[in-house]
Amino acid sequence: MRRNIATDLILSILFSVVTNTVCITPPGKPKITSCRSPEKETFTCWWEPGYDGGLPTTYALYYRLETSETVYECSDYHTAGPNSCYFNKNDTSIWVNYNITVVATNRRGTNYSDPVDVDVVYIVQPHTPENVTVLVKADEQGPYLRVSWEKPRNADTSSGWITLVYQLRVKLKNQDEWEEHDVGQQKTFNVFSPHSGGTYMVQVRCKPDHGLWSEWSTTSYIQVPDYITRERSMWIIIAIFTVLVFIILTWILNLKRSSVKHCLLPPVPGPKIIGIDRNLLKNGKSEDVFNALVIPGFPPSDYEDLLVEYLEVYDSENQELMLDGKDLQEGCLKLKSPSDNDSGRGSCDSHTLLMEKVAKEEPTLESSQQEVEAETPSTASLQPEYAQPSAWPTVLAPDQPYQLDSPWKSLPDVFISPPVSPQLKCTTGPKHKKGLYEPSINGLEGKGDSMVSSPRTMEYVEVQRVNQQNVLLLRPLAEQNLGSHTTSVEMPEEDYSKVKGVTSNNVLLLQQEVSTQYISDQEETCPMMQQTQLGKPVVHHPPAVVPSGMQLTSNGYVDTATY
Amino acid sequence: MPAYRSQGTKLHFAVVVLLCVTVSSEALGLGDLLERVSQVSDKLHSLSTSLTNDLNTHIPPMGKIIMRPSMCHTSSLQTPNDKEQALKVPESELLSLIRSLLVAWSDPLAMLLKEAPSLVHPDKSLIYSKTKELQDHSNTLGDGLDRLVHKMGPTSQLISSLPFTNDIGNDKNMRLSNFHFLLSCFRRDSHKIDSFLKVLRCRAAKLRPEMC
Repeated sequence: MRRNIATDLILSILFSVVTNTVCITPPGKPKITSCRSPEKETFTCWWEPGYDGGLPTTYALYYRLETSETVYECSDYHTAGPNSCYFNKNDTSIWVNYNITVVATNRRGTNYSDPVDVDVVYIVQPHTPENVTVLVKADEQGPYLRVSWEKPRNADTSSGWITLVYQLRVKLKNQDEWEEHDVGQQKTFNVFSPHSGGTYMVQVRCKPDHGLWSEWSTTSYIQVPDYITRERSMWIIIAIFTVLVFIILTWILNLKRSSVKHCLLPPVPGPKIIGIDRNLLKNGKSEDVFNALVIPGFPPSDYEDLLVEYLEVYDSENQELMLDGKDLQEGCLKLKSPSDNDSGRGSCDSHTLLMEKVAKEEPTLESSQQEVEAETPSTASLQPEYAQPSAWPTVLAPDQPYQLDSPWKSLPDVFISPPVSPQLKCTTGPKHKKGLYEPSINGLEGKGDSMVSSPRTMEYVEVQRVNQQNVLLLRPLAEQNLGSHTTSVEMPEEDYSKVKGVTSNNVLLLQQEVSTQYISDQEETCPMMQQTQLGKPVVHHPPAVVPSGMQLTSNGYVDTATY
Repeated sequence: MPAYRSQGTKLHFAVVVLLCVTVSSEALGLGDLLERVSQVSDKLHSLSTSLTNDLNTHIPPMGKIIMRPSMCHTSSLQTPNDKEQALKVPESELLSLIRSLLVAWSDPLAMLLKEAPSLVHPDKSLIYSKTKELQDHSNTLGDGLDRLVHKMGPTSQLISSLPFTNDIGNDKNMRLSNFHFLLSCFRRDSHKIDSFLKVLRCRAAKLRPEMC
């Protein structure tokens, strides 16, 4: 007995083990994966079989409508492929719930799937759109792509039973991202401004109004021909036109080269150093060059007599500057201008020039008054014997209240035009010389103090002519009383203009002369050489003169900036 | 009695038509009217689907299994069940069906709206707002259909009455599951309305074949 039970037990265990290893079991549970209706008239359900238990297993689908208790079996297992059930039109009702179950049967047993409730209207997924065609069309804007397609074959949209909306996606062949477009119920779509020469891929899908999206259609390829966009051709035309205009302008500029050059870069007067032979400078040795400069008989023997003790200069602001006479030679105004020393300005260092000028000025300065009143008798006035190099600056630059500062930068910018145009007051310039001549105040060197000119008179000297030795012949402009230091002095000519001031850009500001009347020259100073000192405002308006705004003289160069 | 009723109906109809013609300066064509109405019904069904999805995040323990859609209060109305049947129905009858369905839902929707704030659902405020929207769209659709009626035959005016019992239940879980059930019924009925209107739209749109 016990042995039988034990044997049975052992046998049964063995048997189960054997059967398990040989895998013969009732089938596993099938599972309904999905049901779909492509046109709201038929539908199909698919299931997934479970483990078949090692035996041939059959599957059956049973369904029941909600309105009745009758159970039906699927009539078509083949149309839709394996493990599927196709419900044809007759078997399909909508707005009705189906209760569907799949049963798996094999020799060992059966297994039921979980039931599924399905309403056909909620499982509509159409087929993909058909006949997707892409064409390249052209209009006046350029080429564009036209995509057109047709509805899926079995969808009945004409009666309104099913309403389809479409979606399209496009991309270039080498792009990663698709560009999606919702098209609505149309069956065409345009892609404008495609990339020239690119290959486009197009896909279309559709969806019923309340349903699921279909699969994407197969890709359609289209090659866009090469073309130039209208915009780019416009830019090309503009570029060509600009280049042409530029070439024409350059050619015109080239033709008018000299006048443009004259306008933009006015010629700087060449060096007029007497005695220097240009060619010698280029070719010769330095000794020869300098030897040529040597003039016999200079410096004069009575050199000591020429020295002046001191020089007194007044300006309207009662600024007195005492220049030490001893230093006058070295204390000549040195122009620290940025330009070279070979400009047309006479430099203090040029003794010969100094001498010659002084010598020549003798006869012409007889009648001229000296604004610069020197205390020492030697510089009382310009006398014929007055051939002092140190006084030369005063002769040539009478009545100048100079406020000389270290950077005397304004002078290079000052141009004196030929006599017709108003000349700068207090300067002399070569009348007949072509080009521009620097005012002679270069000869004066400031020690940082301002020089006060003679408060009395304004003296204008005009260069009559330049003789062959390049010496200036001066003559005074107006008939003035020598030695008279009365108050009012008339303005010599009308074509002279006063300089209002000098800006920090080293520009002389000319004053427009409205009246020829001048008041006391006590206040009246030659405003030309005034500079805005460091923190010292320039005040020199002669009250009678109505200064107008800065103006350009006819030939001169005046900067109209305010000071 | 029926004679008077029909005479009265005819008179009423004529008066209403005259009023409509005089009052509305812009007389919408039938096609345009149907187009508008279809759009409203499309929106209505979309709203009901979205509300169902929101509600389904929290299913009551009893579930919806007990309730069958055949137990909807509108199931007594005979509507076509497939395409052949639907396409055979004349327009005016179709419109009558549509209107009957819609009218049958005005009371239940009001009740749902009253119930929404006290639902045992985590998203009840959202549900309430969507239910309100549902009611508004339903009213708009009703107005549109009323205008449509005057362009169709007299049969379209017939509305079957579908009584609705205001019994949502006492237990709060019961109320939630009733809410679920009612909404599922509404979802189906709104789909019916939408489908029928779109069928009507395509029938009327002879001038725009590309739409259908």
